[in-house]
Parts: sequence; C-alpha cells; structure tokens
Amino acid sequence: MSGGLPGSSIEAHGLGGAKDLPIPSELAIAGAVAALVISFTVLAVAWREPRYDAATSGREAPAWLDRFVSSPALAIAARTFGMVFFLYVAAAAVFGKDSLVNPFLGTFYVLLWVGIVPASLLFGRFFKAISPARTISMLFARISGVSEGEGMYAYPARLGYWPAAVGLFAFVWLELVYPYSTEIGPVRLWCAAYLGIMLIGSAIWGTTFLERADPFEVYSSLVAKLSVWGRRDGVLVLRSPLANLDTLVARPGLVAVVGVLFGSTAFDSFRESTVWLKLVQSLSTTRILPDTVALVGFSVGVALILTVATMATGVSSQTPRRALPDLFAHSVVPIIVGYIVAHYLTYFVEYGQQTLIQLSDPFSRGDDYLGTADLQINYWLSSHPTFLAVTKVVAVALGHVVGVVAAHDRAIKLLPKRHQLTGQLPLLVAMVGFTVGGLYLLFAA
Amino acid sequence: MSGRGLARLAPVVLVLAAGLSACGGSDADPPATTSSPTTDGDAVAITVTRKDDAFTPNGERVELGIGQTLKLTVTADEAGEFHVHSTPEQEIEYEEGTSEHEITVGRPGVVEVESHDPASVVLQLEVR
Repeated sequence: MSGGLPGSSIEAHGLGGAKDLPIPSELAIAGAVAALVISFTVLAVAWREPRYDAATSGREAPAWLDRFVSSPALAIAARTFGMVFFLYVAAAAVFGKDSLVNPFLGTFYVLLWVGIVPASLLFGRFFKAISPARTISMLFARISGVSEGEGMYAYPARLGYWPAAVGLFAFVWLELVYPYSTEIGPVRLWCAAYLGIMLIGSAIWGTTFLERADPFEVYSSLVAKLSVWGRRDGVLVLRSPLANLDTLVARPGLVAVVGVLFGSTAFDSFRESTVWLKLVQSLSTTRILPDTVALVGFSVGVALILTVATMATGVSSQTPRRALPDLFAHSVVPIIVGYIVAHYLTYFVEYGQQTLIQLSDPFSRGDDYLGTADLQINYWLSSHPTFLAVTKVVAVALGHVVGVVAAHDRAIKLLPKRHQLTGQLPLLVAMVGFTVGGLYLLFAA
Repeated sequence: MSGRGLARLAPVVLVLAAGLSACGGSDADPPATTSSPTTDGDAVAITVTRKDDAFTPNGERVELGIGQTLKLTVTADEAGEFHVHSTPEQEIEYEEGTSEHEITVGRPGVVEVESHDPASVVLQLEVR
C-alpha cells in the first residue's frame, strides 16, 4: 500500500493490505486438543497448595539494576521520549495530509495499540512510563503547586477499572466498526477527546485516575503483569510471569476490561468471515448497527461467561461469591495475549515497518527526517504461511497453559477445600471455550 | 489426584469431546453460489455484476494461486472502480457495460476486492 490513496476512499476497510490466510484445520484441531489436554493435566497433576504470593514472590534484582530502573534520569528520559514522539505525531495529525501515508494512523493503530503488548511484555508498565497524558498532568500539577499525584478528590474505589473498560470500548469501536476509522479527522478528534478527559480526570482525581481510567495505561499495566518485572515493598524484583500475574490487584470492572479486550479481538476475526460479510452486505442499511451489536455481543458475552463460570462454585465465608469474577479475571489475560499475538503478529511486523518508513515523512512532502524513508518492508512473515500458522497456534496454546495454571493457583487459594476441584471446572470449561473459539475464528475467518 | 477424582472427571471430558466434535461437523456444508469461479487454462475466471448499486457476488471467497491470474469480467450498469487490497494495493477501473480485467497477487494471504462507492466487499481472494 505505497500508493497515495486519498483518505476519503477507504471505507469498509481498516488499515493494511492483505490479511493472513486462515490457519489449516489440522493445526486448529491440534491446538484445541492441546488446550483440552493441558487443562485437565493441570487440574490433575498441579500443586495442591497455593504457590504464588505477592508478599514473598520474586527474586531481588541486582542493586545496580534497581538503581538504574528507579533513577530519575531514566524516568525523565522515558517521559521526554513519550512527549517528543507524541508532539511529532500530533504535528503529522494536524498539519499532515489526510491520506493513508500519514504516519499518524499507523502510529495510533499499530505502534500504539498493538505495540503496547510486546513493549509491556518486555519492559513492564511501558505506557505509564511514557504516557503523554500523565506527563502533561504532572507538569500541570507542578505549575499549579499541587503535590504530585494528588487531585481534588480521592478516586472512588467502586469505579475501579470501569472507566478504562468504556475507553477501551470506545477505541475498538473506532477501529473496528466506525466506517471512517482511517480518516485523519475523526481519529484526531478521538485522540483530542481522550487527552481532554484524561487531563480533566487527573485534575479531579489525581494520577490514580490515569491508573484506572486511561485505556492504554490500563491495557499496558495489565499485560505488564506477564513480564518479569515487579516490585515488592518498593524494591525491584524479578518474577516468573505466573507469579507476577498473581500480583494483579482485582478491582471492580476488571471483568469488563478483559471482556472488551478479548471480545473485540474475536470480533475482528469474525467481522471478516464470509458468513458475517454476506449477512451485513445483504442488509439495506450500513454495517454500523449490526457491527456495533456484534461487538457489544462479543464483549459482553466474554464478560458474562467469565462471570457465570467463576461464580458457579461453592465458596467460603471470607470471599463473597460476587467478588470471584474480578478475582479470577487475571487468568484470562494470558489467553488474551496469546490470541492477540496470533491475530496481530503479521499486521504488527509488516504494517509496523510501513509506519516506521512513513514516520520519516510526516507531512507527505518526500522528507526523510529519521533516515527510514528508503527502507524496504520485509514480507518474510506473510511469505511463510505455515510458519506463521504454527506460531499462532503455539501462542494460543501457551497463553492457555499460563491462564489455566494462574486460575488453578487462585482457586486453591480462594475456594474452600472441598470445592477446589469441582469449583475450578466451570472456569476451566470457559477457558477451553475461549481458546477453542479463538482457534475456530483463526481457522474460519 | 485420587482415582475417584479422575473417575468424576471422565464424564466431563466425554461431554466436552462430544461437544467439540459436534461443532466440527456442523460447518462442513459447501456454500451455494450463483457465480462460481471457473478455471480457464491456467487462470481462474469470475464474473462480477453491478446492478442498481448492488454487487454479485457478495463477499465470496475465491481460491487463487500465488502469481496465478484471476480473469475478472465486470458487467456494470454504471462505471466505477474496485480496490484490490493486496500489498501493495491495486485498482481496477471499469466502464459501463462489460469489461475484462486481470488480477495477480504475489504473496500468500486473504485479499479483499472491494468497491468503495457504494462500500461493499465483492470478493475475498484466498491466495496460497
């Protein structure tokens, strides 16, 4: 897609050219069988005493590493990088041409939305460290003399992650449903509204608001729990991703966040399936309404299945039944990450390269600011569909293993002894359903 | 795990396995189409019709080899263009009446052939 297509003529299609081939049926079935076998093997042979505990888990990082990671210099460098990059891309969004070669779109949909996953897996809470919204709100607080991180009111605990779930839904709706999602104007408006809400919210409720309501920060910090980086009493520790995942603090709305993240990715596969395409195109109206209904259906469906599956168990007096969905929601995060790798790998690698090339020429004038303008995109990945399909299925299966183990450990920690085995079953079935459903969509769409 | 625990699990495994195999069986019916692709020598041939802003076929999958030619016959009551969302993108402009066009795709993947005005995905080329 190197031609300069005008932005107005790209309806009914997202960013990027060719899509991945469906995975072969043998691989999909192998993946599904693996998910089943893994699940019941974990249930049968895994440990009987909870193994992960945030208060004790993790090995202390070397002192020099802790000093480096915690140093103000690194924090300032990350904030500067985030701000400079933000202003650079914002300039392209405001002064650049309304065209698919404008790097703003690729940066927003590929580098930010998809890149947030590998960046957080590698570096931990990556977006929090570079977030322009957080940087600006910190600068405002400093100018107005407010002590750092404080707002006018305490953030209401019962709101939890709900605002982030709404923000994430607003993003996926823009990306997957809105017909003009690849025009600069509406995307710029979305970003301006996002930034405005984040700044007002952080002025009212302090930076806690950003931690709970910024969709990108919540997403990044969620995925960061699968990295090796953690903190215990302020000290930098290295944990296994499983032990780190266990330290995720359950708050209201976590199930909704998980529902939107997984449901929307599944919907992205589903909306390109022949069945859905033929259906929506045979209607006399535009796709917006049926697509919106399906996106809501997928997101709510995932959240509902998770809610019902986690609550269908005997409980002890210490943990009320309605607290269970949020307490188990962390175990779906690895399944989401595995599925996102499967779904977006080619898109990220190939459209990410395209975006890096476009970033050199933010105003479409033939500039080469970053020296990347003459690079060629490497299409090795999409030229090797078998390797790609195997990678996808391995990612999905790996996510499933981590998820099932995480759920198992949480179950033996929370559930009363006599319900530990039977209480896990509904969730296990739900997880197998998520994984097999994901594989089915990769195979059929 | 105790033997009794395993015995209790057995029905669940069976139910799940049965459910899975049932799911697998139900989606095997072939799609009935009105304008099926035909092979024309080394090429695949397909006819696309545009009438009153509606396209036939409607989002049909067509299998195509890498580098194989798709011979596209367009019969339209109004001129327009198709976007072939390969990488890089290709465009096909068609006139009113019947016209012949060719598409080749050099890399594996699913490529949409799409009209933007009115917005509609006409074909999905499964290139392998």
